[in-house]
Amino acid sequence: MRNIRRNPDIIWREEEEARAEVVRAMERGDDASGEGTVLLVESGMMHQLNLLGGEIWKLLDGIDEERLVDTLAMTFDVDRDILARDIRDFLADLDRRGWLVHE
Amino acid sequence: MYMSRIPFSPITINWTLTFRCNFNCRHCYSRPEKAPELPTGQVKEIMAKVAKYKVPFINYGGGEPLLRSDLFDLTGYATGLGFNVSMNTNGFLMTEEKAALARESGFRTVGISIDSTKAELHDDFRNTKGSHKKAVSAAKFLKEQGVRLTISSVICRVNHMEFEELVRQARDLGAEQISLHNYKCAGMGFTNKDELDLTPEEWKEFYLKAIALREKVTDIRISMDDPITATIHKAPEQAIVKGSTCGKLSLNIRANGDVTPCGFIPVVIGNLLKDDLKDLWDNSNILEKMRNKKPKEKCLTCKHYEDCLGGCTARAYATTGDFNSPDPHCWVAK
Repeated sequence: MRNIRRNPDIIWREEEEARAEVVRAMERGDDASGEGTVLLVESGMMHQLNLLGGEIWKLLDGIDEERLVDTLAMTFDVDRDILARDIRDFLADLDRRGWLVHE
Repeated sequence: MYMSRIPFSPITINWTLTFRCNFNCRHCYSRPEKAPELPTGQVKEIMAKVAKYKVPFINYGGGEPLLRSDLFDLTGYATGLGFNVSMNTNGFLMTEEKAALARESGFRTVGISIDSTKAELHDDFRNTKGSHKKAVSAAKFLKEQGVRLTISSVICRVNHMEFEELVRQARDLGAEQISLHNYKCAGMGFTNKDELDLTPEEWKEFYLKAIALREKVTDIRISMDDPITATIHKAPEQAIVKGSTCGKLSLNIRANGDVTPCGFIPVVIGNLLKDDLKDLWDNSNILEKMRNKKPKEKCLTCKHYEDCLGGCTARAYATTGDFNSPDPHCWVAK
């Protein structure tokens, strides 16, 4: 399985305060899946990722998909198959946008 | 998806390293401004303070950045701190050697100002003979060095009918992006607005055509950062805040370290030689007012207000002294 990295042309930043707020909301049982925790700037355009997307994004520094699932399964309390599917879909979307590099 | 909260610090710092300029343009927002210029050490001191808050982008505006003899030294320092650095220059002082220094010091992009495809028109607008030729040469020097190039054009009465030619010229020069900047009634731009600014109806016509072109063109990005366009098209996917981005995604630093919400709003909220960026960002009353505008006059009943938030705050402030006034470029009827 090939390792995956973030496209180095994409400038990004974790929004630490937003992330902390999302984590608190989730602990209260609120739905915060629409809240951005990572900002990306690509070709002058800005995008944001929600908590799961942001956690995946931060780990993409030369990691294969299976290890990515293993790592996130320790953080997110969801069925592993569902998590694996969500991660696969998310990576496919990033790939379509040209935001990933495969080694 | 819009952010439900403001980022924890600015995404971009627009930085006027100097108010000096070798040009005397008829629309210039900063020409009447005067401020002592900080020496290299103090600029670096501020850069280090800003870097602490993970601001990803610095863009030098001006004044003409190439008049600072320490420009590439400062840029090398800034890129070493992790900033992505760009600048807007008139290009007159760009040489092959300086283009090489731009690459070596780590400029992410360099923007050249070109306001017409017709040399005599550009030279007249910029009040400098030979400036179009020099701007084109500057673009070529930068491309030869592999520096990413953008072109900036201030849309006004002299060029609003030829923006398609401006896009073609930028593409021919190898630019990745052309920014079609809206005319700002600040500084000389305010003095000369009756001569140079378009009517609201002309702005609408321009934006309708320019947005249509942007949707067709694939080999160059066309940027039009004007909140008023929210009244005629759906906000693009990448818009993460509504209304003006000043004070929500960006701040402006002047030559003496003073901080203003944007280059076009001459209201000082602090100075980074003594103040903390994060403290200003979180606690400035001025920024709070800009982030929480209240509709007035025709905006009170306008169905577009929730998308445009009154349009450009700088234009409203320049013409009325009130952030909440409707954007004078707004074409939506009362």
